[in-house]
Amino acid sequence: MKKAVLLLAVVLGIQTAFCRTFTVGFDAGFPPYGYVENGEFKGFDLDLAREVARRNNWEIKLKPINWDAKDSELNSGMIDCIWNGFTINGRENSYTWSDPYVINEQVVMVKKNSTIKTLADLKGRKIAVQTDTPVQKALSPDGERQELGKTFAGLVVVPDYNNAVMQLESGSVDAVALDVGVAKTKLKTGEFRLLDEIVMSEMYGIGFRKGDTALRDTVQNTLLEMVADGTAAEISAEYFDGKNVMALGKLTFEKKGTGGQDDSTLSLKTVLLELGKGLLVSMAIFCLTLVFSLPLGLLVAFGRMSGNFLLRNVFRIFISVMRGTPLMLQLLVWFFGPYYLFGIQLSKLSFCGLDYRFIAVIIGFSFNYAAYFAEIYRAGIESIPRGQYEAASVLGYSPYQTFFRIILPQVVKRILPPVTNEVITLVKDTSLAFSLAVLEMFTIAKQIASASSSMMPFIVAGVFYYVFNFVVAGVMAAIEKKLSYYR
Amino acid sequence: MNLLKIDRVSKSFRSKQVLTDISFEVEKGEVVAIIGPSGSGKTTLLRCAAMLERADGGTISMGGVTFFKDGVLAKKDVRKEARRKCGMVFQNFNLFPHMSVLENIIDAPVHIAGVPRAEAVAEAEELLKKMELSDHAAAYPCELSGGQQQRVAIARALALHPEILFFDEPTSALDPELTQGVLRVIRDLAMEKMTMVIVTHEMDFAEKVADRIIFMADGVVVESGTAKDIIHNPAKERTKMFIAGLKTEM
Repeated sequence: MKKAVLLLAVVLGIQTAFCRTFTVGFDAGFPPYGYVENGEFKGFDLDLAREVARRNNWEIKLKPINWDAKDSELNSGMIDCIWNGFTINGRENSYTWSDPYVINEQVVMVKKNSTIKTLADLKGRKIAVQTDTPVQKALSPDGERQELGKTFAGLVVVPDYNNAVMQLESGSVDAVALDVGVAKTKLKTGEFRLLDEIVMSEMYGIGFRKGDTALRDTVQNTLLEMVADGTAAEISAEYFDGKNVMALGKLTFEKKGTGGQDDSTLSLKTVLLELGKGLLVSMAIFCLTLVFSLPLGLLVAFGRMSGNFLLRNVFRIFISVMRGTPLMLQLLVWFFGPYYLFGIQLSKLSFCGLDYRFIAVIIGFSFNYAAYFAEIYRAGIESIPRGQYEAASVLGYSPYQTFFRIILPQVVKRILPPVTNEVITLVKDTSLAFSLAVLEMFTIAKQIASASSSMMPFIVAGVFYYVFNFVVAGVMAAIEKKLSYYR
Repeated sequence: MNLLKIDRVSKSFRSKQVLTDISFEVEKGEVVAIIGPSGSGKTTLLRCAAMLERADGGTISMGGVTFFKDGVLAKKDVRKEARRKCGMVFQNFNLFPHMSVLENIIDAPVHIAGVPRAEAVAEAEELLKKMELSDHAAAYPCELSGGQQQRVAIARALALHPEILFFDEPTSALDPELTQGVLRVIRDLAMEKMTMVIVTHEMDFAEKVADRIIFMADGVVVESGTAKDIIHNPAKERTKMFIAGLKTEM
């Protein structure tokens, strides 16, 4: 008996050792092609991939990836292919493609009661698109639908489709341009409808590492078998209400460039210029956050140290919540809160020509950092010896004069090192503005990187952040030195 | 005319009675030393008189202004008026570390009392000369010895022209060799007829400088009288024990 178990273990071991793994990279927020349901990965593409792996006796690994990092994942060998409603158009030269297996349309989704009926009605409106999708590229300057894109008041680039739909729901955009398959899953709520006109049609294929034709051919041949024996149609029926969308074998595309963004056009100069623009936005977030959060933190610290039980505890809870929840979540709440809590249309919330999304970023950052600064202030204030207050009292200083003439100057010196820490963290935290589709530097780096399949923009962004922080640290060190005339 | 009048003052911290029915007066130009073992309540008494601590009962008047009557604090402006009449020098100096010596002295006159800056500076320079610190006007407290810091603290208190000056163990935090300069300054002030109340452990100094010594123990005034009487000829047993104890220590 024991021998049998051992033998089985050896056989299994050998089998695993020789069993090829097939790792599929996908965006887990892209129904019905690939998504999460009840904690499991489901989807049309994923079921096709599972079946391909089974037939080839491969061990399948489904790897949800950050869409912006898909090229690095693929090129570094972390995944074998990108299989996820992956549009060939515009990316013809960047991957070794399978033949197209789905023809898809990019459509426009609006609210059910919207006045928008045609593409022409989109003039002067705000349209949301997911970052690094074909429809984003098409509507951007130099894209194939740039003429349409130019009529919009703004193209709002968001991290994922759910975010786009929330923006539509809350009125911060007027429409979302997206993949028809994804749109149909969103239509089930009954709140939205699609325009009859489509933005463009596109082909989906499986993207393999450049030159990996052997794997491509095996996968494609297996898929053709599945089309022939009807398995593919069955899988399609499950995800597309009984329809067979499988188009493999019916189409081919010419594997040559069609004027889309080409890898070779990426120059350091463009990257520097684009990231420079993003850096300005990052710096604006940084400066405004400091301008608001430093004084606000002092008020919060006073509230936290108040003799009034209620006041003290209100501020204690405020600090606890601000420090205990992710800043990215707080940004989403500040931005979407007015709509979901009070039903205010976000498009109406602008101030001095500033988009509410930028204002929400500043509010979110300022309140969050104020909570951290408040605790630093409190530590500093409480570290000042009682004797200082007593000396001031005997000399006739009022509590107000005591604080501003005697205590605060000493507090500033004491809290400078922890404040420097927070300020440097803030420089890097500015990249969280991406969650509200504010185009700061890191967002732009991600966009350029994924469009060009290059790590260079990330390296440049890293250098920019480092230099930014180097300057910040230098300034803080200079202030510290200036205050070192006393102990 | 008395500058300080303390009448049946008592105070307790939680359940511990630290001052019981203390009464005494300080006349204009008089120098009073308060001595006694630690925990006897001398510092607390001084702090009650300087409004750093609030007594539980009794009455305190400063230069005729009664800021604490029968256990009740007077209105803010009355307290402010009384506060202007007194100055205080602390055991730990409590200079403002972020201000230079000169700024420490002129900050309150200029920003609180509204004295023109030039006038305040001139006066501060005069005071520093008296303290033998003229060379250190631009220095910061951290650059000075303890004795020098304490002399700056005295100058800071004097700059507001108090009618009465309180000293809370002014030499206790100093190395023995640094006490002399501070004691000399206080002696000079005594010669100028500055009214002073000094809580101290320096018995020789108290004898030389004080017109009167108050001996306190366990929150009560045990005995008071001329320096000579208290130190060389105490009437009460408790005082004798304390003086004898100090002598064996030496």
